[in-house]
Amino acid sequence: MTKQLHICPKEMRRPGYIEFGKIPVNQYKRTIEEEKANYGKDDFLRIYRDMRFIREFESMLYSIKTTNAYNGIEYNNPGPAHLSMGQEASSVGQAYLLTTEDFIFGSHRSHGEILAKGLSAIHKLSESELVAVMEGFLGGVAYKAVAEFHKGKGKSAKDIAIDFLIYGTLAEIFAKDTGFHRGLGGSMHAFFLPFGVYPNNAIVGGSADISVGAALYKKINRKNGIVICNIGDGSMACGPVWEGLMLAAMDQYNTLWEGDMQGGLPFLLNIMNNQYAMGGQTRGETMGYDFLARIGAGVNPEQMHAERVDGYSPLAVIEAMGRKLEILKAKRGPVLMDTLTYRYSGHSPSDADSYRTPEEKAAWQAEDSIVAYRNQLVAAGVASEDEFAALDECIVETVTNAVQMAVDPVISPRMNLNAEPRAIEDIMFSSQRIARMEGRTPDVLMPKEQNPRVQAIAKKERFAFDAGGKPVSKNKVYQYRDAIFEALLDKFYEDPTLIAYGEENRDWGGAFAVYRGLTEALPYHRLFNSPIAEGAIVGSAVGYAMCGGRVVVELMYCDFLGRAGDEVFNQLPKWQAMSAGILRLPVIVRVSVGSKYGAQHSQDWTSLCAQIPGLKVVFPATPYDAKGLMAAALNGGDPVIFFESQRLYDIGEQFHAGGVPAESYEVPIGEPDVKRIGKDITILTIGATLYRALEAAKILEEKHGLSAEVIDARSMVPFDYEKVIASVKKTGRIVLASDACDRGSYLNDLARNINDLCFDYLDAPAVVLGSRNWITPAFELEEHFFPQADWFIDIIHERIMPLPGYAPTRSFTDTELLRRARLGV
Amino acid sequence: MATAVIMPRQGQSVESCIIGMWHKKVGERVAAGDDLFTYETDKAAFDETAKVDGELLAVFFAEGDDVPCLTNVCVIGEKGEDISAFVPSGVDAAADGTPVSGAENEVPVALPVAEARAEPVADVAGLSISPRAKTLARKSNADLRAVAPSGPKGRVIERDIRALVDSGRIATGAAGEDYAAGIVGTGVGGRVSVADVERSKNAPDLPDTYEEKHSHIRKLIAKSMNLSLSTMAQLTYNASFDATDILGFRARLKMARESGMGEQLGIALADAGITINDIILYAVSRVVRAHRVCNAHFHDDRMVYFNRVNLGMAVDTPRGLMVPTIFKADQLSLAEISAQAKSLAAECQKGTISPDKLKDGTFTVTNLGSLGIESFTPVINPPQTAILGVNCLTTAVRDINGTAVPFPAISLSLTCDHRAVDGAPAARFLKDLRAALENFSLLLTQ
Repeated sequence: MTKQLHICPKEMRRPGYIEFGKIPVNQYKRTIEEEKANYGKDDFLRIYRDMRFIREFESMLYSIKTTNAYNGIEYNNPGPAHLSMGQEASSVGQAYLLTTEDFIFGSHRSHGEILAKGLSAIHKLSESELVAVMEGFLGGVAYKAVAEFHKGKGKSAKDIAIDFLIYGTLAEIFAKDTGFHRGLGGSMHAFFLPFGVYPNNAIVGGSADISVGAALYKKINRKNGIVICNIGDGSMACGPVWEGLMLAAMDQYNTLWEGDMQGGLPFLLNIMNNQYAMGGQTRGETMGYDFLARIGAGVNPEQMHAERVDGYSPLAVIEAMGRKLEILKAKRGPVLMDTLTYRYSGHSPSDADSYRTPEEKAAWQAEDSIVAYRNQLVAAGVASEDEFAALDECIVETVTNAVQMAVDPVISPRMNLNAEPRAIEDIMFSSQRIARMEGRTPDVLMPKEQNPRVQAIAKKERFAFDAGGKPVSKNKVYQYRDAIFEALLDKFYEDPTLIAYGEENRDWGGAFAVYRGLTEALPYHRLFNSPIAEGAIVGSAVGYAMCGGRVVVELMYCDFLGRAGDEVFNQLPKWQAMSAGILRLPVIVRVSVGSKYGAQHSQDWTSLCAQIPGLKVVFPATPYDAKGLMAAALNGGDPVIFFESQRLYDIGEQFHAGGVPAESYEVPIGEPDVKRIGKDITILTIGATLYRALEAAKILEEKHGLSAEVIDARSMVPFDYEKVIASVKKTGRIVLASDACDRGSYLNDLARNINDLCFDYLDAPAVVLGSRNWITPAFELEEHFFPQADWFIDIIHERIMPLPGYAPTRSFTDTELLRRARLGV
Repeated sequence: MATAVIMPRQGQSVESCIIGMWHKKVGERVAAGDDLFTYETDKAAFDETAKVDGELLAVFFAEGDDVPCLTNVCVIGEKGEDISAFVPSGVDAAADGTPVSGAENEVPVALPVAEARAEPVADVAGLSISPRAKTLARKSNADLRAVAPSGPKGRVIERDIRALVDSGRIATGAAGEDYAAGIVGTGVGGRVSVADVERSKNAPDLPDTYEEKHSHIRKLIAKSMNLSLSTMAQLTYNASFDATDILGFRARLKMARESGMGEQLGIALADAGITINDIILYAVSRVVRAHRVCNAHFHDDRMVYFNRVNLGMAVDTPRGLMVPTIFKADQLSLAEISAQAKSLAAECQKGTISPDKLKDGTFTVTNLGSLGIESFTPVINPPQTAILGVNCLTTAVRDINGTAVPFPAISLSLTCDHRAVDGAPAARFLKDLRAALENFSLLLTQ
């Protein structure tokens, strides 16, 4: 959606053929003799050692999972272990050339990738750098434990670093407090940022869109290094993987992004193709691609530089990685690698291999990458069997030591939630105030004050009523959409890492014109249109923030949350706590709650988000609150789901005396606001329902002599009950209302707590007024679906205090409640 | 099979009745003959009794609701029976919280709630009361026994306590202490539990005053009496008569019944006896015919005279004063008048009287004699022109040839509307009535 690119009918309608290039398959053919030019003996042996470490580590876990013991050390590990014996050459080959500036993301089967990348980093970092990393990591707890255990053995810092890597990873798998993330991540979420190891992911393909966001971070913030996403062949049918691919391969990086920003993403999608998706065989059974690398041809004209690499040969993988790194550094990414491999163990130690024959497994084991490589090296005279045997012994000892430490409850205790009951609570949110993620000058296209939208807003009335109390016309009033724009624009000129993207964000200015004016202010790399791919929009934001950036993404309709379900519910809320507070996710997901557009465009799904631990959830209903809450979200370090309402974009500020301030200010997240003072009944609303509650308050006042206090929740999570409690103590009665369907609504949570907290003050139980448990009907029928002003009167009459002489039109009786519940409507 | 109970049609002129009070709750067992609910017309209150045994399955109307006659009011049957067929159209069965199965097609709408849904409660311990109201009651020593719950589902809410306090229904010091002692909570956080309220039952002293809302019939009486005294020119004439003859007649009648003379003569002598009041009613029915201004209705522009005597008789009932009519009393024998008077009084007492029997009187007799009243000023039942008050039996003295001779006397208090009846005609009517009663045996020949 840009005027810069002309779509020419003549060109588009011209006949022709799409030509595909060849996709290489296992083309590596060098001998060890030939490779001697590239590798010294140490290098050859180190490659062997790293593969052997992974084999031993995974075998150790297999032994513990299946026999509760390893090398005479007994331990029961009830947690998951998705092992990668057989895949070692693939991970070691990949990591060999990478530096700590190159990031890898992984899957639920990524122990080998972590160890390979860690061992590669240890080799490349100096001893002092290593000590600094280890000492600085989580207060140096793991380092101290390792150093203490090996005291007096005369080990070098590099050796200690290897012990540290093996031990830290294992302790994390065993859920120990000394693990890399205090045991909060575990086997499927292990990682170690200082070595460039970014999170693995328990959700199949979960890393795909996240890692594209990391690549965006690298590119947009001019950081060195590339980003690799290691996921399995089993993930290739997952929607978010395709969405991530499309986002990674957008034409605009080349056609529209300017200057040094022009060029492809430094992104490598590496499929660890072990040929099984749990029990399903991807080739021949559950997929149709024949060769996975073929997929690259469908993505872009470069065919993603795709190729199949023999992942049974470490040197083949290294050779391929070398070529791919050059492509990526030349801004010709993204790249797809189909790294062929095979796993010897089941999907997990519990599966009985019922889906494959022993002959097949034996055939692959006969070509085992470690054995074959060692034999080649011996045959080529690089090293003797004895040397390999000594190396093996050393590796077993290192792993054994790590196991000994990790199972020891004194050296490796679990997080003590009895002594520190708030240990997890404290890391659910960072609750930091970070005005700017980096100090450099932001890339902008013009001074703020020259921005046409800024100039237009300057002419607007910042309060909804004039001095005489008359409403200012919509065209002249400062609107809700202006408020969000203003807060965002301020931050774009302050935080150089801040970017925004989503559907129709550039040029159009967002479907609801919130971003109008941003296109003029910002270069492409800070504001761009994404493909219609809600999963990747949110997922990439997670990756962007993980790496240190701040990002605002948009879901055009709340109803599209489902399309970003894994990203909003599994990824965004979890990583701060699963990283023991090491990762920060300053991500704002703007979600616009629709109206008028029927069953799939008018739903209020705020409750879904409020239910998920780890998300802050706000829903401003006024321009003042919208600007203040957006500023607070932008200054914070936590993921915020920022709900907006399409009923509200054009309204002016009706409450804050003096209107919406031009300067920046914050409305604290979590604080409700009293919008109307009263004494007889409290109405607590979430979102746009506020205005119908105010209408109801007017009716109560004029027709029934009751004075209603109306409180706007503003935030859902966190939520400070103090003002509500004070109000309910005063009035003794409360109706809670929002446009969410009433079954499972977050209002029920609020109501339950108010009943608990104010029980002795209540004249009737707190009453919840939500939408019907139906589809949202057409606009013309919405008054039967969303709570209306007279519904408030009806429900108060029926459930709180019968109003003399009042005849309700809607039934809120027990009978009706029970009937609806019985029918599920 | 469930049975519906309809709102009876109490006379052709009655379109609807107001439910006074429910004696049974949904879910309670009822036996045939049990009182279900009271209902009132603009003239009288009645009790509806159950005709069948069973459980009260559903109640479609609340106290105070105006229910069209012949509409289903409630359903009696056995637990679990489908009552959906009985739900009156446009009515939500939820008036009492009973789920209606099978009525999904209609969107039930709650009924408008009358201002005072409930009568004061007797059982404080079983009271449904909001925590806020309970706290306020404790702080203000409000007397919960007098509270009229107005909240949803009969719950006492804050405004009900405020109403108590405003009307002075505050427990005395001793009672207040008892309440406080009784309702101090032992539950979590000092909350008052059911057991706490149970313990608080023994509040001792009665309060100084307490209030009751007017019943429908009381409102009607008030309206009618006020209209009577504010629009008419009433004055009362007193005179006594010698009751020797009527007492002798009663004595002879009693003797005759006991000796079986009725059978001997082939006539039925009244079973329960002829009362003095029956005799006076009989006498009035005969005498008033000759005094047409007293057997008439006064309207602003005309008089309506009656060729027959429809004799109203005031009856004291627990619900208040009722005046049933003995139609064409002048055509009835003494025995017939006596029998009608008894059955009408009984129907009034029971509340089963038809409103058709409570109207169209042409003259009224009210008797306070049994309560020892010697003289009073009866109030005319408009648009009638007169009412006769009957006082108690006394002993009077008469001068016969210089000797004071005692005799039994009964005084009569006749109130007339001077607009219709001047003093002399009134006195003449009283004079003739006295003569008739003093010579009752002769009158019987009529």
